[in-house]
Amino acid sequence: MTAAQNEDPTDAVLLDALEPEDHELLSLEELAETADISTVVISMLVREGWIVPHPGPGGDRFDRADLGAVSAGLRLVEAGLPMAELLDLARRMDEAMDPVAELAVEVFARFVRDSVEASAASTAEAATTLQRAVDEMMPATAALVGEHFRRLVVKHATARLIEE
Amino acid sequence: MKVTTRPLDDAPPLVEHDPPLAWISDDQTIIGFGEAFRISAGLGTERFDRARQAFVDWLDGCQTEDPVDRPGTGPVAFASFTFDSRSPGSVLIVPEVAFGRSGGQWYVTTVGDADHTPYLTAEERPDIERDRPRFAGASIPDVAWVEAVAEAIERIRRGEARKVVLARDFALWSRTRFDTTRLMAKLIERFPHCFTFAVDGLIGASPELLVRTDGHTVSSVALAGTAARSHDPEIDARLGSELLDSDKDRFEHLLAAESVERVLEEVTTSLSKDETPTLRKLDNVQHLATAFEGVLREPTSAMELAGLLHPTAAVGGDPTDVAIEMIRELEGMDRGRYAGPVGWMDRRGRGEFAIALRCAEISGARARLFAGAGIMSDSLPENELEETRLKLGAMMSALE
Repeated sequence: MTAAQNEDPTDAVLLDALEPEDHELLSLEELAETADISTVVISMLVREGWIVPHPGPGGDRFDRADLGAVSAGLRLVEAGLPMAELLDLARRMDEAMDPVAELAVEVFARFVRDSVEASAASTAEAATTLQRAVDEMMPATAALVGEHFRRLVVKHATARLIEE
Repeated sequence: MKVTTRPLDDAPPLVEHDPPLAWISDDQTIIGFGEAFRISAGLGTERFDRARQAFVDWLDGCQTEDPVDRPGTGPVAFASFTFDSRSPGSVLIVPEVAFGRSGGQWYVTTVGDADHTPYLTAEERPDIERDRPRFAGASIPDVAWVEAVAEAIERIRRGEARKVVLARDFALWSRTRFDTTRLMAKLIERFPHCFTFAVDGLIGASPELLVRTDGHTVSSVALAGTAARSHDPEIDARLGSELLDSDKDRFEHLLAAESVERVLEEVTTSLSKDETPTLRKLDNVQHLATAFEGVLREPTSAMELAGLLHPTAAVGGDPTDVAIEMIRELEGMDRGRYAGPVGWMDRRGRGEFAIALRCAEISGARARLFAGAGIMSDSLPENELEETRLKLGAMMSALE
């Protein structure tokens, strides 16, 4: 559902906030060229759910976040991690994180959105407050999850090194 | 040269002695020590005939005493052939001492003055320090392999071939020598109904019988079409059922079965086969299988039959010549003896050859593992990558 199709103004604001900010979207070929990887690999990453294209009139389009995800994966591959193992880790990560992400959305809806809607003087004020909340919370979530995973990796790597 | 076979009352304690030559299956065991004869079979499709003829010539100089006279008794040759006729490495070795079990009877064969008695006593294996297998790289990065698979899919869609099998490898190293005896024991435990083999450093457990013959009858099993396994019996059964119903896998399997059938029809007077593919469940994967049994038109040796059947569509592709050219062009490595025939043959031409799958080429503290996947028009590169990852992982864990 697009923001225009949603009749609730606060939901519409939330949907807008979740849309990519980047309006300069790339085609699959452009993404491949920019990331310096073949279209075969990009297509595989799309099928694997690693990057999710935005449907457009001229075909699938990709934003800067997709480019970032592809580039980050390629950095791992270039550093020596086989692509097959990386895909396996990504599948496991997806499986492990998906229910947590669903729960996070539920928690947001219950404790942030509902609370804002209850206290805002108007729908317009609620929409503005929610927009601000999403803008703050999305990068904070990414930082929190990234840092948490980094700490877990460090913990296991340290334990492994001590054991060896 | 005198070659003598004697029956044994009990199974000798073989594995403790680090046998360099081995063939272990449900029906037949042959374990070899020492080398009475060795030939490098060279290049070309004639490498099978060259090896067979060299063995026959060597046998001409032997006087055999074999009161047991069962498949594998008397002088016996182990052989392992390269996948590609252009690759060097095909080898035939006659052990000085061969212990075996054939038709339930244990025996020992010695060549010349070779002494088999040291192997009759169990030796305490020294507690050697062991390291784990460590990844050292691959012949081509798997991103490039994925692109090669995509290229193969494109060519198949253009009608250049119906199937091609693409393989990739892992190079491994270890801080200590790989323990080949331990590897064989693990393979037997993990793949109990496979053909466990060791020939000149190529060690593995193949599920795929290329050919078995007593000189008059012949059998073979075509395996192609693969699915994962699950520890959950319900999921495992569903995966098997989906494999049996999968058009892609059924077609891939049909090509492999047809390639075996075409050859066997030429050399048999009667040939029977499974009406429909059955499931062959291994520890880590499950395959579609079709078994063949036939009566040979004329006595034909196991090595000749192996040469005629190789490479089947299960490990090469279809049509064979196009698939082989695509493999040479796209795979980016020499398979060596991986996916080639490996097995044994006795003086009467009786023998068994499996296709060398689930195997490692081991030399001291270095090893090379291989895994392949059948590429069809509707294949997805990531699925083929995952299939080979699972196969490589199984072999890597066997080396731990």
